[in-house]
Amino acid sequence: MIRYALTRLVLLLVGLVVASVLIFATLRVLPGDIAQMIAGVGSTPEQVEAIRSRLGLDRALPLQYLDWMSGVLRGDLGTSLLTGSSVAAELAQKAQVTVPLGLLAMVIALVFSVPLGVASALRRGRADGTLITVGAQALAAVPVVWAGMMLVVVFAVWLGWLPAQGFPRAGWADPAAALRALLLPAITIGIVEGAMLLRFVRSATLQAVGQDYVRAAAAKGLTRTQALLRHGLPNVGLSVITVLGLQVAGIIVGAVVIEQLFSLPGIGRMLVVDVGQRDLPKVQGELLVLTGFVLVVGFAVDLFHRMIDPRQREAQ
Amino acid sequence: MLRRTPLAAAVLMAGALALTACTSEPSPAPSTSAVADPNASVTVRMVAEPGNLDIRETAGAALDQLLIDNVYQGLVSRTPEQDITPALASDYEVSEDGLTYTFTLREGVVFHDGQPLTPQDVVWSLTQVRDNPSYRDAQRLAGVTSVTADGQTITVTLSQPDSSFLWNLTGRAGLVLKEGDATDRKTAANGTGPFTLSSWRQGDNVTLQRFDGYWGDPAGVAEVVFAYIPDTQAALNAALAGEVDVVTGFDANLSEQIEANGDFAVEVGASTDKATLAMNASDGPLSDVRVRQAIRQAIDHDAIVEAIGVGQTQYGPIPELDPGYEDLSDVAPHDPDAARELLAEADAEDLELTLTVPDFYGTTVSQILVSNLHDVGVTLEVEVVEFSAWLNDVYVNRDYDLSFVLHTEARDFENWADPEYYFGYDNPEVQELFAQSLAATDEDEAAELLAEAARIVSEDHAADWLYNGASVVAVGDSIAGMPTVNVNERLNLAEITKSEG
Repeated sequence: MIRYALTRLVLLLVGLVVASVLIFATLRVLPGDIAQMIAGVGSTPEQVEAIRSRLGLDRALPLQYLDWMSGVLRGDLGTSLLTGSSVAAELAQKAQVTVPLGLLAMVIALVFSVPLGVASALRRGRADGTLITVGAQALAAVPVVWAGMMLVVVFAVWLGWLPAQGFPRAGWADPAAALRALLLPAITIGIVEGAMLLRFVRSATLQAVGQDYVRAAAAKGLTRTQALLRHGLPNVGLSVITVLGLQVAGIIVGAVVIEQLFSLPGIGRMLVVDVGQRDLPKVQGELLVLTGFVLVVGFAVDLFHRMIDPRQREAQ
Repeated sequence: MLRRTPLAAAVLMAGALALTACTSEPSPAPSTSAVADPNASVTVRMVAEPGNLDIRETAGAALDQLLIDNVYQGLVSRTPEQDITPALASDYEVSEDGLTYTFTLREGVVFHDGQPLTPQDVVWSLTQVRDNPSYRDAQRLAGVTSVTADGQTITVTLSQPDSSFLWNLTGRAGLVLKEGDATDRKTAANGTGPFTLSSWRQGDNVTLQRFDGYWGDPAGVAEVVFAYIPDTQAALNAALAGEVDVVTGFDANLSEQIEANGDFAVEVGASTDKATLAMNASDGPLSDVRVRQAIRQAIDHDAIVEAIGVGQTQYGPIPELDPGYEDLSDVAPHDPDAARELLAEADAEDLELTLTVPDFYGTTVSQILVSNLHDVGVTLEVEVVEFSAWLNDVYVNRDYDLSFVLHTEARDFENWADPEYYFGYDNPEVQELFAQSLAATDEDEAAELLAEAARIVSEDHAADWLYNGASVVAVGDSIAGMPTVNVNERLNLAEITKSEG
């Protein structure tokens, strides 16, 4: 187990280094630069050049990369070229919106997808089971932007229950207001992610139903549902955790779209704005942290899986 | 994974919003006897957020809208109608030879940090802009030979007459800052205006607060929040849900939806937005004036204005709000047959051109252009790019055939007299007329010379002007005093008020 963990850790670190090179290189391929953005229309080439050299953008790319990496190793994610603010501080501030949003979305997704997924598997072939499956298919196919718009129209514009956009200026100082601001966006992501999760829970449950140990339990006198709930579900749960780990990336992508739609000052919106303004040191810091986060979640899921699933341990 | 199909979403959304319009309950009619609440907070939806607050170095109208007049002031300012008015100077005089400008500085003006405004601050501000070529608009003060103070009298002398000088002082070049100020201009501001900059939450909003030590009439509200909501639908939703009081940069085509429940009224004001179709005449088929004329005559300008929902046609480089405007519709009237003939004459049938457009302009205009030009045998390929890429490809490298951009700046004819500008238009006669207009000491004479130059630019078909945009602002019924003219460029909110209830 320890050997496995160490190997996996080395892979994680290699992954991070590769990601950092890729992030750095792909961003440099983008046309346009921040010096020109700052100087804008009506600027002279001399003005742009002065800004570029003040920002240190006229240095060789490998040097810029090494500078960035040595900073990262010292725990310094760099500073925004545009505002001079610290990338880490900005991330921490925006995370106060995006992390609760992601967690809330995940909870919402789980709350309806697990029971409904199991139920639809147990009711396979019956009208209500089919209804759930078809409903999930339809929901999973809903564009997230459209889902958000519809929710806003109903709950913010018509009913006036929840805010249509934005986040309280006081942030979490008023937790109720902050939560209200996040509810519609979280439901939007949660519905779409949950619909996909539901189909997965259903197929995992169906698979469990067919397993020998469930059939054996049923033979011992349990009903099929009882056998499944007692012996099959722990296995389903294990697979769900793996899929949830994979969905972290999906939720981050969802946040980029949803934060734009709801004007939430989170990490997703920050990324869109920073890329648009070509604040590359800031973008690369943000992307590195996000990539690192996704990789670490994958690492944790793998270890967790290994720890609780005896079959994988034996296979080693 | 999450899916994104904006077109489908937009279509369905339009349906949903139409429903909203039908089902909203009628709201009480706005009361005419509403009393302004001096403690009110007004939220104004803005489209574009500034990258940072450094008004000396950072480009963009977003900064002008936020900071000029509201936070920073100059000796003189301008009204929305583009008239020059006194600001920090109570009075000014121009000598007959147009070389000496004398300003009387107001007494009792203090900066937001409590320090008094001194004549020396004015001298320092103007000279340091002139002497720092990396500052924006520094070249606008290039002709200043000296700035001196004697008591409250500030004297500025020029090396030669400049009919645009006073106007230039109403912009960034003329802003007065505190000498030796340690404020970090990127994130904070220390001005003399009616509002102080109280907070900036990047990617979200900037909040201004009434400055109690202001020298003039105090601002009408205690707080103004600039809420940066780039997405039009999100802005509409915010308005319908009562979360913003004013929506600037509104889409006129959505007027019915926002006005449906009676809480908002859409106001349309003139603007200096020039929807400019730049044509790169440096080489290739566009270097033939007949091809450029054909493109202009192929375009149905009335149809574009109708599709945009507001604004008016404009057939030359100067909009109606600026001096030197003249109706030039006779120069290139819509005539597809004439366009076809011109293309045949120029041996340019089956022409293929690329149109480079920044991604925030939507597709309406591009679609009309593609269809209009298709009618006369020109195939237009639309390339939608980020603004940063536009700056790089079109503005800096001039690597484009046609480019569509809104030029919002007032009085920017100078770009047609500058062959180095991305238009690449080089006509010595126009340059000479522009120089003469600057040197003129009489306003009317200066305007006439500009009009003459503008006609030449249009007759050369140096570009096409698709329309002269309008300021479209949706104003909540509790709001009064909201400027509605040319708000895309400047937005003085000192007089805005909000009634109680």
